[in-house]
Amino acid sequence: MQAGLSTKNAPSPKVVLPHYAYGALAFIAAAIMMFFAGGDIASTFMTPKVLSIAHVMILGWITMIIFGALYQLIPVVMEVRLFSEKLAMASFITLGLGTPLMAYSFWVDFIGASHAMITGGGLVIISVLMFVVNVFGSASKTENKTIENRFIATSVVWLLLTVLLGLSIVLFPNILANGSFQIHIHLGIIGWFMMLVVGVASTLMPMFFIAHQLNKKCLERAYILINAGLVVLVATMFFDLGQYAKIGAGVVILMGFMMFFKYNLSAYKKRLRRNLDIGMKLSVLAFILFALTMLTGFLSAFGSLIGVEFLTRINLTYGISLIYGFLTALILGQMYKTLPFIVWLKLYQDKVGKFKTPLPADMHSEEVAQAHYFFFIAGFGLLMAGVWLQEALLIQASAAFMLLTALLYGYNTYKILIHKQQLKPLVMPKIKPRPRPVVKKD
Amino acid sequence: MAKIDQLNETEQDILEIIKTVPDPEVNVNIVDLGLIYEVAHNEEDKQINVIMTLSARGCPVGDTILQHVQTVISNMYPGYYVDVDLVWEPQWTPALITDDGRAQLDGGF
Repeated sequence: MQAGLSTKNAPSPKVVLPHYAYGALAFIAAAIMMFFAGGDIASTFMTPKVLSIAHVMILGWITMIIFGALYQLIPVVMEVRLFSEKLAMASFITLGLGTPLMAYSFWVDFIGASHAMITGGGLVIISVLMFVVNVFGSASKTENKTIENRFIATSVVWLLLTVLLGLSIVLFPNILANGSFQIHIHLGIIGWFMMLVVGVASTLMPMFFIAHQLNKKCLERAYILINAGLVVLVATMFFDLGQYAKIGAGVVILMGFMMFFKYNLSAYKKRLRRNLDIGMKLSVLAFILFALTMLTGFLSAFGSLIGVEFLTRINLTYGISLIYGFLTALILGQMYKTLPFIVWLKLYQDKVGKFKTPLPADMHSEEVAQAHYFFFIAGFGLLMAGVWLQEALLIQASAAFMLLTALLYGYNTYKILIHKQQLKPLVMPKIKPRPRPVVKKD
Repeated sequence: MAKIDQLNETEQDILEIIKTVPDPEVNVNIVDLGLIYEVAHNEEDKQINVIMTLSARGCPVGDTILQHVQTVISNMYPGYYVDVDLVWEPQWTPALITDDGRAQLDGGF
């Protein structure tokens, strides 16, 4: 057997699996927290409780799962071993401890330099630094300098800037005057999340769709447009260059996202697997919600030109459709495409060919997955209705559906994680004995 | 080595054995997915060679699929040296999927 296979570089499951478990719990926690913050979301937008939920979602759910998935994926896309498994474990622990501390500080209305905030924020930064070292340490060994890998490496740089600025905002609050909070949000959303998602999704979606001969020029253009647009956007916010400069930067970034959308739409249209499994159904839903993110993100750039009340709703829709919509749906879906394989390899890698083994798709409950697919749609729809009608009851109803989604997703995550080996006798085809060729002797 | 459409009877039997190996992600056997390029059976040297590919370099279960092929052939042909060779050229394309394979993919989940 030859080299060039990702599985020989795969990290130990004990590095990756805790990230999925923690992420599922964070998702449940955020859904519970939404019950108590419904009024805030409906009325005043960016309150400390909303910030608390946002950070549980962004750090505890999304970033945590991304970290875990990347530790598994880097051997796949970069064809190298992970730089350090110990660093990966350490970054999990620090992120896992730092997130609830930060969330607690926000929740109790303290967004200043409290002990919890400093400690939590510091732990998060340490976690990110270790993650950055791990990614760059791995990337430096790869010969696979594809556009997808460039997205991943660049996203990590933006992540570092995001968390450093985040902690600076807490330690030196007077720099808020320069739009630092807005910069922090956009560095995180566009620089970290979206750059990473573009890189990873552009690798995985065509593979799972079984789609070939896609035009990678779309991704090259997306890379240039999103990075250039983000640099200009940050500059416009920092130097307060006015609304039109922001709109211009927003247009450039939007064009970049449209290139990414176009690439994945092409993969969808060229797919060989016509019927979508639950993982890909959720992923396709994610892209539909991403269209809403792109639209509202662009409108958000118009700022006060479009009226304060309308702008608040647009900004909420932008943020929610990205975090609770696109990113959450994508993670929900891609969990079903990744976690079962990690567990399956751990349990069955040396059993194939000797016993009949279940498939990765057999490890979760399909009914539960389909149920949380519809609960998620209901929850998102109610949340949007609550935001636009400014009705706290609708948001609490949404929280109920989101909690159901989180609990059912958590159940399936747990079911996959604790899957016990199930082996059955292997039935092979009967082969007729062939007569041996007669060798004539002289 | 014999290409997949030029196999002798024994090599056809070996191909039938390989047909028990599924790609775990799509649950379609790797023969109908078009991943098997060549099979060779050498009675004198007691050797069986398989040349195959994978649908993507990033296939997370690639190593396991190769292992599976080697194990099922070895089980059915004890005493034989079985070599499964992974190649990336010619590059796999969906055109290599058989009609049966497409039907199974379309059936989906």
